[in-house]
Amino acid sequence: MENAINLSSQAPESDMECSDNDNDCFDDDDYYNIVDDSEIEQIDPSKTDPENFKYDCLGEEQVERLLNETVECLSYNLKITPSLAKVLLLSHQWRVNKIIEKFRKDASELLISSRIKPPVTPPSLSLSRYITCPVCVVVQPAEKFFSLSCSHMFCKDCWVTHFEVQINQGISTAISCMARDCVVLAPEDFVLKHLSRPSMREKYQQFTFQDYVKSHPELRFCPGPNCPIVVHSTEIRAKRATCSNCKTAFCFQCGMDYHAPTECSIIKKWLTKCADDSETANYISAHTKDCPKCHICIEKNGGCNHMQCYNCKHDFCWMCLGDWKSHGSEYYECSRYRENPNIAHESAHTQAREALKKYLHYYERWENHSKSLKLEEQTLEKLRARINQKVMAGVGTWIDWQYLFTAASLLAKCRYTLQYTYPYAYYMDVGPRKELFEYQQAQLEAEIENLSWKIERAETTDRGDLENQMDIAEKRRTTLLKDFLDV
Amino acid sequence: MANIAAQRIRREFKEVIKSEEVAKCAIKVELLNDSYTELKGEITGPPDTAYEGGTFVLEIKVPETYPFNPPKVRFITKIWHPNISSVTGAICLDILKDQWAAAMTLRTVLLSLQALLSAAEPDDPQDAVVAKQFKENIEMFQMTARHWTNVYAGGPHVNKECDDKIKRLVDMGVEEHQARVALSSYNWDIERATEQLFS
Repeated sequence: MENAINLSSQAPESDMECSDNDNDCFDDDDYYNIVDDSEIEQIDPSKTDPENFKYDCLGEEQVERLLNETVECLSYNLKITPSLAKVLLLSHQWRVNKIIEKFRKDASELLISSRIKPPVTPPSLSLSRYITCPVCVVVQPAEKFFSLSCSHMFCKDCWVTHFEVQINQGISTAISCMARDCVVLAPEDFVLKHLSRPSMREKYQQFTFQDYVKSHPELRFCPGPNCPIVVHSTEIRAKRATCSNCKTAFCFQCGMDYHAPTECSIIKKWLTKCADDSETANYISAHTKDCPKCHICIEKNGGCNHMQCYNCKHDFCWMCLGDWKSHGSEYYECSRYRENPNIAHESAHTQAREALKKYLHYYERWENHSKSLKLEEQTLEKLRARINQKVMAGVGTWIDWQYLFTAASLLAKCRYTLQYTYPYAYYMDVGPRKELFEYQQAQLEAEIENLSWKIERAETTDRGDLENQMDIAEKRRTTLLKDFLDV
Repeated sequence: MANIAAQRIRREFKEVIKSEEVAKCAIKVELLNDSYTELKGEITGPPDTAYEGGTFVLEIKVPETYPFNPPKVRFITKIWHPNISSVTGAICLDILKDQWAAAMTLRTVLLSLQALLSAAEPDDPQDAVVAKQFKENIEMFQMTARHWTNVYAGGPHVNKECDDKIKRLVDMGVEEHQARVALSSYNWDIERATEQLFS
């Protein structure tokens, strides 16, 4: 070991350097390689965690830098202005290689289809010293006139007004020539050359930036309100991205709330359906239910669906009103919708009623878990207050009680996934795969309710017991996602 | 009103008056006020179409930002056409929306509208009922459009059968135009029109 020798020969004040040397010798890879054949396994999260997703949260400047690198690369390769490179990139979803390939094949065709050049070569410019502007019909000296590559001449004032009117309508990268049937686009440098009002220039640049980000397949604006963050990932899939600034979690592919295991197109269909049918469903999912044993009216005030009637102490499931005992032990049947096998022979009316019944089954559960999530947030607040009291009274420290918060956030994560399993199941075809899905969904649901029950009674639950329950619930969740999350 | 808009309209007004289309009585523009913000347009139905022989009056409103934004145009004369609302006269035509170019003029707008009358685009409809009839039963559509041209735009083709059916509904107390709309919408099936009117 050369390093060791070096170390021993060095003066004692070189402590810092000594640790540096250590790093040089054993960088992470080496370290793992050495111990690899012992009991520690190398874990690649992209293989074991179905939700693993690599992304960066970028600020505006970082995004500009990222975009400019691409722009410069293309403008250098094709020997064109950065402004024209932007027009090309925008119309080709920022695929530099594709653009270069097209350019090599037929440069003229590429420039025409990208609306940089007109399809027909423009007639030679008139040489007269005075020109009538076709827009404002004012005669002016020729040097006040400008045109794009299509040679359609307009006076400077008209160009400026044209740009300002378009920008005020939110149009920036799509501003075109003012001539009839001319599709040639005004590139950025042409627009900025004419715009002098600072407010307009700023607006224009803001709008073009939005267009560039929106057209870039690897970039997404954070959907959080007024959040300036742009998320970047080279993996364009329906995975969860969490904004580092406002903490909004969303699906990278479609930008909606994260929705695993359901696909983007399915969740969109489901949400539209829910919005359309909400009246009926709202009516049906009322806030109170009667205890199935003593029939006293019960309002649900906690997230857990394992209910215990305060009157008769009967344990039951809030969803199906069945006895809780049969839920936990044998088989959790409540999440499963039983489709009527003879439905094909029934009348249209019965079929329609059955379809509504099926929808309501899934909708109620979807809604219920959404409500539970909110109620569990309140539970967490109460928990925080109680722990605060305890700490004040000298019963443990904040650190001692931290595990409860971890448990609560894990519960939220699990219930969130559970909520999104219902639209998935609703659109699944009947068959063994659906049976397997509903089996796993039922398993997950049972463990989540157990966890919720234990968290609500946190002070009387054994810590080890709770942590065990957390582990089980999370395992069930990842198992389900591993088998069914297909992105 | 912005200087540029008034200047342009004044110029265009002369252009239309001098144009050969006016000589052929195909298009016409009239000023409605001194500030050039409101005009009345007129186009004649193109030959060999159901609109032949009719004169269609248009309302033209010129926005402040003209010619950088398109003029607002709608039909005052009632017309049966897939791209024009039979209720409001609103027009679905690309050059009056995002395909407008500042170098276009009132003359080009009027000529484009005339072209729209000879070549409807039922796949981009303004009036869904009319567009459906156009696609499913073109002869029924032609007959209805010709009848509307006759009644509202002074077209020459009187359709006695249509008039009789309308009269029967009018005798039952239905307002004439309402009766015409109902019958036109239900392919002149008087029973279904009655059902719709009295339901």
